[in-house]
Parts: sequence; structure tokens; C-alpha cells
Amino acid sequence: MSVIYTLIPGMTFLGLVFFVIMIWAVKQGQYEDMEGNANRILQDDDEDMMS
Amino acid sequence: MSPPSILPTCNCFHCGLPAGAGSNYRALLDGIHRDFCCLGCQAVCTAIFEAGLQGYYQRTPEGVLLAPPPDPPQDIDSYDLDEVQQEYITRSGELRDIHLLVEGIHCPACVWLIERVLQREPGVRLANVNLAAKRIHLRWDNNLNRLSNLIRALARIGYSAVPYDQENAEGVIKKSNRSMLFRLFFAGFTMMNLIWISIALYSGADKGEFRDFFHWMGFVLATPTLLYSGYPFYRGAIGGLRVGRLTMDLPIAIGLSVTYAYSTYITVSAHNTGAVYFDTVTNLIFVILVGRYLEGMFRHQALSSNKRLLELQPRVATVIRNGEEQVTPTRTIKPGDHVLIKPGHKVPVDGIVLEGFSAVDESMLSGESAPVDKAAGAKVTSGTVNTNGALLVEVSSTLQNTTLAKIIRLVEEAQASKAPIQQLTDTIVPWFVLATLVCATLTFLIWYHNGVDIALMAATAVLIITCPCALGLATPMSVAVASGLGARHGILIRNGLVLETLSRVSHFVFDKTGTLTEGKLSVAVVHVVPGNDMQEIVRYAAAVERYSEHGAARAIIAAAEARQLNFRGVTVQGFNATAGLGVQAEANGRSVLLGSLEWLSRNGIKADPELLARALELEAQAMSCVHCALGYAHVAVFAMADRLRGDAQQLVNELRTAGIGMTLLSGDRKVVAEAIAGQLGGMEVLAEVLPQDKDLAIQRLQQRGAVVAMVGDGVNDAPALIRADVGIALGSGTDVSVESADIVLMHNELAKVRLATLLSRRTLRTIKQNIGLSFVYNAIMVPLAMMAKVDPLVAAITMPISSLVVIGNAARIRNLFNNEKS
Repeated sequence: MSVIYTLIPGMTFLGLVFFVIMIWAVKQGQYEDMEGNANRILQDDDEDMMS
Repeated sequence: MSPPSILPTCNCFHCGLPAGAGSNYRALLDGIHRDFCCLGCQAVCTAIFEAGLQGYYQRTPEGVLLAPPPDPPQDIDSYDLDEVQQEYITRSGELRDIHLLVEGIHCPACVWLIERVLQREPGVRLANVNLAAKRIHLRWDNNLNRLSNLIRALARIGYSAVPYDQENAEGVIKKSNRSMLFRLFFAGFTMMNLIWISIALYSGADKGEFRDFFHWMGFVLATPTLLYSGYPFYRGAIGGLRVGRLTMDLPIAIGLSVTYAYSTYITVSAHNTGAVYFDTVTNLIFVILVGRYLEGMFRHQALSSNKRLLELQPRVATVIRNGEEQVTPTRTIKPGDHVLIKPGHKVPVDGIVLEGFSAVDESMLSGESAPVDKAAGAKVTSGTVNTNGALLVEVSSTLQNTTLAKIIRLVEEAQASKAPIQQLTDTIVPWFVLATLVCATLTFLIWYHNGVDIALMAATAVLIITCPCALGLATPMSVAVASGLGARHGILIRNGLVLETLSRVSHFVFDKTGTLTEGKLSVAVVHVVPGNDMQEIVRYAAAVERYSEHGAARAIIAAAEARQLNFRGVTVQGFNATAGLGVQAEANGRSVLLGSLEWLSRNGIKADPELLARALELEAQAMSCVHCALGYAHVAVFAMADRLRGDAQQLVNELRTAGIGMTLLSGDRKVVAEAIAGQLGGMEVLAEVLPQDKDLAIQRLQQRGAVVAMVGDGVNDAPALIRADVGIALGSGTDVSVESADIVLMHNELAKVRLATLLSRRTLRTIKQNIGLSFVYNAIMVPLAMMAKVDPLVAAITMPISSLVVIGNAARIRNLFNNEKS
């Protein structure tokens, strides 16, 4: 059972890392425009489509 | 090349609306004739094809209907001036950053189109469209291109863009809400981890080799939560103490500190007795932060209305200096300057007309719907709209001294002097806090002779168990549910706190124009000389009036449309309008004159005595009359009136039955206001009231002890809306009135006032129930805690339950409208 001495702090630390990443992402504006960027990647600039 | 084929469909190629058979708008694009519904769609589509960006139409998702393009923004050129730009741009110098708010974005294809078009413009370094917020982030080199060019480029492809001040619009409130959300997230994260640790401890781990380990883990998780997420409570408690008030934050802060200190002591001392309460610390922080966050969401955002008011003043004006026209920023104009105001433009300053003749729309100030005629010597006011003629004006006062600025000051004063609404919970909290502290002290003293350990634990339990969670959630939860329900029924609650006040309202004050009435003229009566065909007269009148922009003209056209007359088929020649008098033209070869009696007599037409008598009668009923002559004979009178809204009568009747006092407040003439009040079955009338006096009228009612609700829609109502205990604005009203109001009725349905009152009563009842519930909980748990009978497990279970009961009870508000379909 002594494995929990490393497991629990490890998992808590991992959770904390995710939390920090989330705050960083929100502050970066990653959640500002969910729709626009989702669609932008699908719209390639094929010349034949623009003819 | 093969001959162009004609598409069989008759829908607009751009927006998909029906274009009508044989439409007038058609363009040859890519060898195919395309039909359009309007000139706007045709121009936009042609521009898109010319730019070689027709891929836009392939990219538009199936099923998404484009709308016809919005009108391009006005005075685009003013945005090139540095004085104007500095409010919006974030980096000065060669490269400039700006956020534009764009009307007309509806699908991902628009993002593609806008970015392509902007990137082709010289000098554009970055163009980034935010689809969700309908904004563009633009960076451009001011040496290579002008902002007005870029905005015009957007207008050509059908998007209307205006600069947008991000700092001001989103501002401090949003920032503080976001930091609250981070604290909430963090508390949620540690709370969930601590729950697992607590479960381990309760199920036996507090007696074995892991006891210390779990205690230390709790300590590690709870410490940052207390410092980071719990910081607002400490700030609030200390802030309250400084001004000598016992706030809700105080027992929370004391409870948190004592619980945390006690648990830390148990952890550090590593005794085999005693339990840690770290989970309680984080639970408490999380639940109360949820309440605070909800509260923050519906807090009144009072600051923005002043800014909206200032935006009514145009930023630039055309000044005549040495006989030359110069476009100058408004702030550099001095009294004595001569300013030219073109038709369709806003008046930038207060002044006196030197030359010209025009009708000016002053509805912003007076609420009066019909434009006022201005000739040399008349006064014009900043922010009003010049409709049909050019005016040369000598400036009498600018910026801070204008009538508009006076309204702004009134709004500010009303905001500053309005007493904050005393929340039901606010009156209870200090006593609750005091009682808790006394109980805890008593408990400590009673148990002191049994040992400090037990005494401390019992006193701590009292502090924890007198859980302010339920009390802290009682109001915010109820108001949040009620706001959501209101929004679904077209009642937008901007300031949740007024829900408590609305149920106590004893006096309603109504604005007339645009609130009880529709705010635009319509033809009420057409009186014709016997022997003439009424349909024919209306048809000819509408045919001529469609070339005029006067308010009465629109009413006559609407009347012809309502009668389904084909007036557009009539050929009109030699149209000629004399401002302030009337219009003249030949329709199908017959002379048509429309206007005042004077207009007719000037053209040598003798008035018909019977029509004259009728007109006098109608004018006594506060209607304005337009006389019509066909073939040089006086044949008809059109009586114009501002029509009552359909549901005004119903609302007034209901309020009268409920015994609520009513006042009609109008800037209009007394006859008109009394005629409207008469139609509604009579009420107190205050007519010819200036904007500043509307505010005073409300104040006088309040001094008599009435709780006043004001319903209005104009800029001139803004101070009164703020002064009233509850301000209700119509969604169609000006931005300023919407910003000043506590409640906005989205679909202009006055009947919703009643619904809002019902909602408010129900909310107040739920708040009272919730406070009652949390007291019952405390009444049971506090004695147990004082007897030292509460162990951490009981506390950990009962506390969330008390919060859940309150939340569940608040959720029941949603059933309110289920029985009556609105």
C-alpha cells in the first residue's frame, strides 16, 4: 500500500498541471472563438475552386 | 461563347430571398444571368465576383441563408482622424491594431471571404475574424492604407464594420468575473481531490499508518485554496470591518480561518485523536464562490450608458472657414464657428440656424415622433438628426455644455444618488453573523472546563455548522433561475436585485411616445368629399408621397399598402417638395397636391368648407391633418395619429384593477397626451415635460412614499429610468434607455410587464422560503454543535445537503409559467 505515498501526490500534481494549462489556454484566448477556427481549417485555398 | 442562360429560379442569388418574377436587379456573372432581390445584394455579389472570390458561395454551408447586406456605417472618413482613432487603436505609430465590430457575419464562409479580401488590401498585416463574437482583429500600416479604405472594402462585400473599444465594452466587470471563475475552478479542483481523501479517512484510514499522510495531503491541497480562492472573503471581511459593518464575509472568513488553523494544529501535532476539517474548508469556499459568481453575472453594469450617450454626438463636423468646407473633429469646434449640417447627418453641436430650412428629428430629446421644422433663427440641439435640407448653424455651445451633455450629467447624478437596493439577505446577515459569533464564544466558555481541546473543537463546529452556504446561495440562486426563465419569455433582467423591488411597486409611470404608442404616425381617418373614390385618392396620394421622406408620407404609403392598392404603377412626374408646407406632382397626368391648408391656398385652391370643419374637429382630438387636392380641387383630409400599442389597454386595465397608481409622462403637447390617456380610460397626465423634469417627477412620487416603476424607451427617459426604483425599457428603444434600465422587454410587448411582476413575486417568495430553510437547518444543527455532538462526518454530509435543498427550491421557479401559456 505504500505505493499511495507516490501515487496520490503524483496524481494531484498532474491535476494541477492540467489546471495551469487550462488557465494558460483561457488567458491566451484559445476559447474566444470556438466556431471560427474549427471551420477555418476546413477551408483550403484550392485554386481550382476559385476559378 | 454560348449565349448566357437564364436561371429558372427566382430567388436572389446572394441571399436566397424571393427576387420576384422579372426582378429589376440582374447581373451577368460568369456568363450566367443572376437575379437579385435588391440593389444591395447585386452590388455585393458583383464585387465578390470581380474580386475572384466566388468560392465564397461554394463555401457557404448548406441550409445557411445569407441575409441582404446591412447598411454601410456612416461618416467612415472620420475614423481616419488620429483624434478619433486614438480611442480604439492599441498601438500607435506606423502599425496600428484595432478591433472592428462587424454586422453581417453569419457563417464560416464569411470568415474566409473577409480574411481574403482584407489580406489583399495593401498595408494589412493581420486580419483575424472572430466568428463567435462577430469581430475582426486588424493590424495595418497607416502609411500604406487608411482605415476608411478598409472599412469601405468590407462594405463593398456586404459587411458593416465599426471600430470597437474592447477595454470599455468588456471592461472591469468581465475581468473580475473571470478572475472569480479561476478561483472557482481551483476551489472545485482541490475540493474534488479532498473528497477522496476524506472518504479514505472516514472509512478507517484515520486510525492506521496513513493517518498522517492523508492529513498532510489535505494540508497541501487546502492551503493554496484558502490563500487563492478564499482571498475575496478576507478582503471583503476586512473591508467591511474598516467601515464598521458586519458582512457575510466575516463569519465565512472566521469560520475558514478557525477550521483551517484547527486542522493544521491536528496535522502538525500528529496526535491520535481529533479530526481534520480540510474538506470543509474547500467545500465552503467552492459553494460560496458559486453563489458569488452567479451574483456577479447579473450585477448591473451601470457605467456603459454614459458612453453610449456620448456616442450620440457625432465625432466630426463640417466647419465653414474662409468660405471653405473643412471636416474637423467636434472637440476642436468653438462657439461662434459656422457649421454646415447636411441632410441625413446628426447635429454635432448646439446652435442657431443662420441659413437653410429643414425638418429635424428631435425624438431623442422630446420623445415627439414628428420632425420639427427649423428655419433661420431656430435652435438646434446636438445629437438630433437633420432629415431633409442643409442647415448652416452658428455654434452656441459645444461638448460639455450641450443639452445632450446635460442629460448625461443627469444620468450620472441619478446613478450616484440612487440608494442601493437593500437586499433581503443584507438586512439579516449582520444579526446572523453576530448570533454565530456569540454562540461560538458561549460554546467555548461552556466546554472550557472539560479541556481546551474539546472546547476548541466544539466552538469550531459551531462556526462551521452555522453554514452560511445556504444563506449565501438563497438570493443568487433564486435570481439566477428567475433571470433565465425571464429571458426565455422575452424579459431580460439586467439587474437581478430589482426582482425583489418589482413586487412592491405601487406606482407605474409610462412614457407616451414609443411606449404606450407605437411612436410613428399612421393614418387614422381619411375623410373624402362625397362623390369621390376614396381608394383612388389614397392611391394617387401614396404614388406621389413615395418620393418624399416626411413621416406623414410614410404613413400614407403604409395606408395604401394596407389597402393593397397598386400605387407603384402610377407614373409620377415633376415631383416638387417645399419643406414645411407640402408636396406637388403630376400623377398619370393629374395634378396632385398634398400638405397643409396654407400649401393649398398658396397654389390657389379653395378649401372645401365641410372638410375644413372635419379637420378642425380632428385636430381637437390631437391628430395632425394632411390635406389633399386632386386636379386643383380640395378632395380629402388624411388625419394622422400615433397609434396605441395593441396591448397597452390590457396592461393599463390590469394595473388599475390591481389598484396600482399610474402616470403618463410626456414631452408632447398636453392635448395629445390627454387624448391618449383618455383612450386608456384616464390617468394622471404630466405633459410638456422636459427630460430633466421627468427625473424630478419620479423623485416627487418617491418622496410621497411610492415605489415607482418607470416604463420608457427614449434617450430623454434615461435619467428617469435610473431614478425610478425599477426602470423598464422596451427592446426597440434607444441603446441608452436599454443600458439605463433594470429590465428590458425584448419583443416590445407591454403585456410582459405583468409577467415580470408575477415572476418577481414568485422570486421573492422563493428567496424567503430559502432563507427560512437555511434557518431551520441552523436551528437544528447549532444546538447539536454546541453540545459537541457533531462529528466531521455529519458536518460533511449535512452541509452540502442544505445547499442542495436551497438550489432545488430555487429551481422550482421554472414551473411558474408552465400553467399559463404566454
